[in-house]
Amino acid sequence: MKKQNRLGSRLLIGLMFLFLYAPILLLIVFSFNAGDSSAVWKGFSLHWYGKLFQNRLIMESVYTTLLVSLLATAIATAAGTFAAIGLYSLGRKKREALLTVNNIPMMNADIVTGVSLCLFFVAFFQGWGTFARWFNDLQSVVELPERLVLGFGTLLLAHVSFNIPYVILNVAPKLRQMDRNLMDAAQDLGCTWMQAFWKVMLPEIKPGIVSGALIAFTMSIDDFIISYFTAGSASSTLAMTIYGMTKKRVTPEINAVSTLLFLSVLVLLVLSNLKEVRAEARSRKGAAHRSTALEKLGQRIAEPRFRWVRRGTAAALACAFLFTVVVLAKETGSRPVVNVCSWGEYIDEDLITQFEDTTGIRVNYQTAESNETLYSLLKSGGADYDVVVPSDYMIGRLIQEDMLDKLDYSQIPNFSLIDDRFKHLSYDPANEYTVPYAWGTLGIIYNTAMVEEEITSWSALYDDRYAGNVLLINNSRDALGEALLYLGYSVNTTDEGEIRQAYELVADANRRGVFQGRVMDEVLQKMEGGNAAIATYYAGDYISMLENNEDLAFVIPEEGSNWFVDAMCMLKDAPHQKEAHMWMNFIASTESNLMNMDYIGYASPNREALERYPAYYEELYGEELEPEIYDIMVTPPEILERCEAYLNLPAATLNLYNTLWTQMGVN
Amino acid sequence: MSKELIRLANCTMAFDEDIVLDKINLSIKDKEFLTLLGPSGCGKTTTLRIIGGFQTPTAGDVWFDGVRINAVPPHKRTINTVFQKYALFPHLNVYENIAFGLRIPKADASGKKVKLPEEEIDQRVTEMLEIVNLRGFDKRRITQLSGGQQQRVAIARALVNRPKVLLLDEPLGALDLKLRKDMQNELKRIQKAMEITFIYVTHDQEEALAMSDTVVVMDAGKIQQIGSPEDIYNEPQNAFVADFIGESNIIDGIMRSDGVVEIFNRRFHCLDGGFDRDEPVDVVIRPEDVDIVPEDQGQLKGTVTSVTFKGMQYDIIVDFYGFKWLIQTTDLSPVGSRIGIKIDPDGIHVMKKSEYSGIFGDYSSYSEEYEEITSFEPDEEERGDEE
Repeated sequence: MKKQNRLGSRLLIGLMFLFLYAPILLLIVFSFNAGDSSAVWKGFSLHWYGKLFQNRLIMESVYTTLLVSLLATAIATAAGTFAAIGLYSLGRKKREALLTVNNIPMMNADIVTGVSLCLFFVAFFQGWGTFARWFNDLQSVVELPERLVLGFGTLLLAHVSFNIPYVILNVAPKLRQMDRNLMDAAQDLGCTWMQAFWKVMLPEIKPGIVSGALIAFTMSIDDFIISYFTAGSASSTLAMTIYGMTKKRVTPEINAVSTLLFLSVLVLLVLSNLKEVRAEARSRKGAAHRSTALEKLGQRIAEPRFRWVRRGTAAALACAFLFTVVVLAKETGSRPVVNVCSWGEYIDEDLITQFEDTTGIRVNYQTAESNETLYSLLKSGGADYDVVVPSDYMIGRLIQEDMLDKLDYSQIPNFSLIDDRFKHLSYDPANEYTVPYAWGTLGIIYNTAMVEEEITSWSALYDDRYAGNVLLINNSRDALGEALLYLGYSVNTTDEGEIRQAYELVADANRRGVFQGRVMDEVLQKMEGGNAAIATYYAGDYISMLENNEDLAFVIPEEGSNWFVDAMCMLKDAPHQKEAHMWMNFIASTESNLMNMDYIGYASPNREALERYPAYYEELYGEELEPEIYDIMVTPPEILERCEAYLNLPAATLNLYNTLWTQMGVN
Repeated sequence: MSKELIRLANCTMAFDEDIVLDKINLSIKDKEFLTLLGPSGCGKTTTLRIIGGFQTPTAGDVWFDGVRINAVPPHKRTINTVFQKYALFPHLNVYENIAFGLRIPKADASGKKVKLPEEEIDQRVTEMLEIVNLRGFDKRRITQLSGGQQQRVAIARALVNRPKVLLLDEPLGALDLKLRKDMQNELKRIQKAMEITFIYVTHDQEEALAMSDTVVVMDAGKIQQIGSPEDIYNEPQNAFVADFIGESNIIDGIMRSDGVVEIFNRRFHCLDGGFDRDEPVDVVIRPEDVDIVPEDQGQLKGTVTSVTFKGMQYDIIVDFYGFKWLIQTTDLSPVGSRIGIKIDPDGIHVMKKSEYSGIFGDYSSYSEEYEEITSFEPDEEERGDEE
């Protein structure tokens, strides 16, 4: 009996660890996948690690992350340690009250911290702007910058501010354990307070400081939400970049970088644990302790005659640090820049390098994950982008709210290369604000091994025959839009009855258990792995799914579908207008469009690029592009006629969408 | 020994509204062994910390060798301290703990910071290890030492700097009784050998009486009495001192004339005088000054209510007219027996009435009180206020 129990508990522990570590193991395994799927294994390869180090976006964000984490850790550790010491010189009541106050930011939701920091910075910038203008008008000796924006500085400040409580929390117990008389004793023996701090207090509380710094560092590396709200347009941390890249799918590069991140944190952890274990063993052995070679070296260096060596090293380190900071500041300070915000995996990065090499303009390329988040980012006033690439209906909204600047098309000669079909669209009828970037259609993707018939209608989504095998797109506009189309209504209807009818159709199918789940990015893994039969997604992504599962088919139903255009626009009062125009012109060129079309799989709006793509493909890959594939990428005009673009809906309708969509989650 | 070294003039210390020291005046002579004695929270540690420079008095002056030192920080005073629970540096070994003060560069006559040469440090530390009987312990870690050894390191660490004054804050509090007795002798020996002033804080009256040249009894932030151990014991100035130092029966009396005091409506001869006629007074009678006689010969008659065997003597509690006395005697009188007592005139000490009159009561709760006095309680409350 007893033995059985033990077996049971071991099994339970095993299961627990499996549950904890299986996802990470899976991620590590798939980082070595030769293919680009996260569901289908195509053999071992280091390909993605190689690609990772060539990925400019990731490498830059790794650099930013490390720099901000190290700086924030250093500053927060120093500030937090002295704050903790200060707290301990206060009376008990005051100290306890302050420690509680210190704990609140850690308990606080990151999103609240992030948003409030962002608001605070923006409010401060506005106040500063007013002050600087007044001050500059008053005199002409010193010129204060009038316009401050979110960037590396605010990111660093935010990290410092959320790190300090963790340092205090770790240092405080060590101070509590320390005999309060130690500092008095050191001063009694002739030390000034500062000498006593270095000679006595620091060695005593060092373990707390080290663990505080380690936690602060991990927190910094880990943080996404707070960084997201405070980094502005010019800097992006690794977590932000990864999040932006997952908009479409988890690429194996992300697996690779996550694996490296996981391993480095693991090594850090093991190192700090080993140190503790050794320290414990030492204190147990006591006198038997023999100094290690490293400690001996440390002791030797600490001898007075090596003072110059110590000072020299410290000075060299300080110089190196200063140099890095100056170079960094100069890099961003003196070179012309353009700040671009787009979607993840939505550009061939060689284009960025090409543009930088030919023009000398630095491109700060950031990503947002949806039109809605981009909108809220712009509204918060923290972002400092020049060029954004929203979708049609969002462009309508931005124009309506006067958030975009008109473009000077004389600076964008390549605009003439854009096919007329993509000019003067409903969101920008006079075509004063936009340069189209890419376009595509929404359709049904299905697995021919699991679905016998040929699907031609949206009705398949609500069909009991496929119960449990249909993936509903997790986006109210698309999910209800499909139902509206099936019912023969416009996707842009504002009629409440029609929308409610569409909702009932979806909700009823949901009640009958037709849907396996509501998904966005997971659609790629699920369909590639054959875990679902039917899904709706974008044509561009279908192409990459087909590479991993040949049974998949794509169709634009006969009732018609949604087609979308993403276009480049320039934000109101963008600080780098000239550079923004140059960037748009560069991207609109046929060469750029060909490269992008090949990289992202979405159709280009450039007339020449559309025509030349099959030839370009053949030249690049040495094989012919199948016409069917081309037709899916570039929806033929006769099918496109059936499709409708989303318009910006009035607020009341948007609210209705939200309410209904939330309701469905409950049922 | 006659020269004054330290003077506290009207020193007051207040934390917020809480007055910890109330206008203390104290003069400390060179090479003297002075003890600040009192219960927890009486202000003795605060007084010590003011002398050490860890606290600046809210009002009043501190003079050292004729110089006012109110604002001089601890590291610039030629005073060193042995702290409660020693406050040794755990990350340093015995040798480095003792050498700590010597390694701090000190300003020489021209104001330039100079370091002591390593040979001198070594010589002085070795010498100190010798004095505190810790030869051969120099490489030990602090955690490997016993309480008594740590105590010696703490003393050595303070004395190696050759201070003019050594402050000791309850240094023997954490040691067991036997070790405490040994260390008392040891400290006395060291003080004689080094020829410096010791200022010693304790709540243990036996320790204070055994070691000191001068005892300062404190309570509630005030000095109650300053004097030699004999003065303090034999001539307590008020009921507090009488109660705190040794055992005493404190009884209400009326001074009928010089040399005659009335207790329980009976007149006793005493040696005190100078009171008003019929002035109410406190009368102190030490338990060992009472002779037990047969009931019919006694000046007072009572019933024995409890007997405790103490080895050298019996502590017996006797009920006289409802007031319980402690009497120490070598003769056993069984519980319930009626006895009489006689008190010689020099066994009676008469004190003026004070704020402490009447608060100490009789010995009906004797055993608890005894426990309270002997058990060690560190002065946490006093330190708590400073945080």
